[in-house]
Amino acid sequence: MDLALQFFQDALFAAIAAIGFAAISRPPRQAYLWCAVIAAVGHSVRFLLMHTPAVHFHIVIATTLAALVVGILAVLISPHAKVPAETCLFPSLLPMIPGMYAYRTFGALVMCLYGGEQTFDHYFFLFASNGLTCFFILLGMVVGATVPIFLMPGISFRATRSRLI
Amino acid sequence: MNDGRVRRICDFMSRYAVWLFGSGCTCIRLEKNIRRMAVAAGVDVEVTILPRHIHLTVSEPQGGDAVTTIASIQTLPISYDTVTRLSRLSWDVADGIVSCDDAHAELDRVIATPCPERSWLPVIVGAANAAFCRLFGGDIIAMAVVFVATVAGVVIRQMLAGKHVDNRIVVFACSFVSAVLAAGDGLFGFGSTPAVAIGSSVLYLVPGIPFLNSFSDLVDGHYICALGRLMQAVVLTCCLSAGLCCGMLLMNVGMF
Repeated sequence: MDLALQFFQDALFAAIAAIGFAAISRPPRQAYLWCAVIAAVGHSVRFLLMHTPAVHFHIVIATTLAALVVGILAVLISPHAKVPAETCLFPSLLPMIPGMYAYRTFGALVMCLYGGEQTFDHYFFLFASNGLTCFFILLGMVVGATVPIFLMPGISFRATRSRLI
Repeated sequence: MNDGRVRRICDFMSRYAVWLFGSGCTCIRLEKNIRRMAVAAGVDVEVTILPRHIHLTVSEPQGGDAVTTIASIQTLPISYDTVTRLSRLSWDVADGIVSCDDAHAELDRVIATPCPERSWLPVIVGAANAAFCRLFGGDIIAMAVVFVATVAGVVIRQMLAGKHVDNRIVVFACSFVSAVLAAGDGLFGFGSTPAVAIGSSVLYLVPGIPFLNSFSDLVDGHYICALGRLMQAVVLTCCLSAGLCCGMLLMNVGMF
């Protein structure tokens, strides 16, 4: 099935992206695997929420819910990986960054400045619509991912303790 | 009097705080780590976190000695390895595994051994960005172009960072180089998705962690710190955009 193939491809590429972006923030070695797993799960959840015919959520809502799943998983896994929750959480979130929306927003902004009176409306519309979508995706992402750390402080901030009581 | 015990504790906590914060930890983690060590040492502590300084007061309960320090936050690359080791140190002090005097030596050890810059970093970041390009619907040629553009950008970043060039200039230069290389996809007519190639070629420079830390501080009520980090991230994003724009203008690639 085409959708199934695309689903697994998305999960795989999200995992690769998470490992690479994790490397930029220099995590401890044991965190890489978890980043990959959490990112793959997060991206798959978003894919299912957006593409399952019965659900078909908007990208903003789907991203928020997927980020929430990523946040909860990262907090639950952090004591096993013995790293702070943010170490697993933040790199896993990066594959969901709305890069193309941001790029289109930026492109439309430049064209607003360059273009004449006839094209301004068109490009300003593109700027505003892409910019708003991008902004709300980002907002949903950070809210969804950060809230679990604050809701489960008992787990989030004890992960690095050597003596678990 | 207790021969400067409070001063020693305050000096230690102040150094600990500026290194932990400089490595990219959130305000809530910093406060929790400091407080748990203070409880173990039997002192009270108050922390004020400003965008570039940490103000710390350590005092003995019931009106004994009190010492205040203000220290500049270290400007370091983000390193979750350092955050992890320093967080573990705070628990070891709190649980009595490491004494307050040994904690000084342990902190020195963590500072002296930063997480090494891995030699395979450009390749792995290149692969990640290529995977990212695929997620946005890029074809296999766009992925290859993005891989090359990213590897070149990361190598340049490592070289410039090694020469201690200002981070904003580094971001501008890297995004310029990556955009110029990625523009080749469209200019030579290699692939069918040139816009995706250019758009995703600079995404490895997005300051994602400062953005996320900023929001975490916002939730925690550290508004000044949240704004400070947000501004830092916005400035870097502007440098990224400027580099991308210059690269596209140079190669005469239309935006749409």
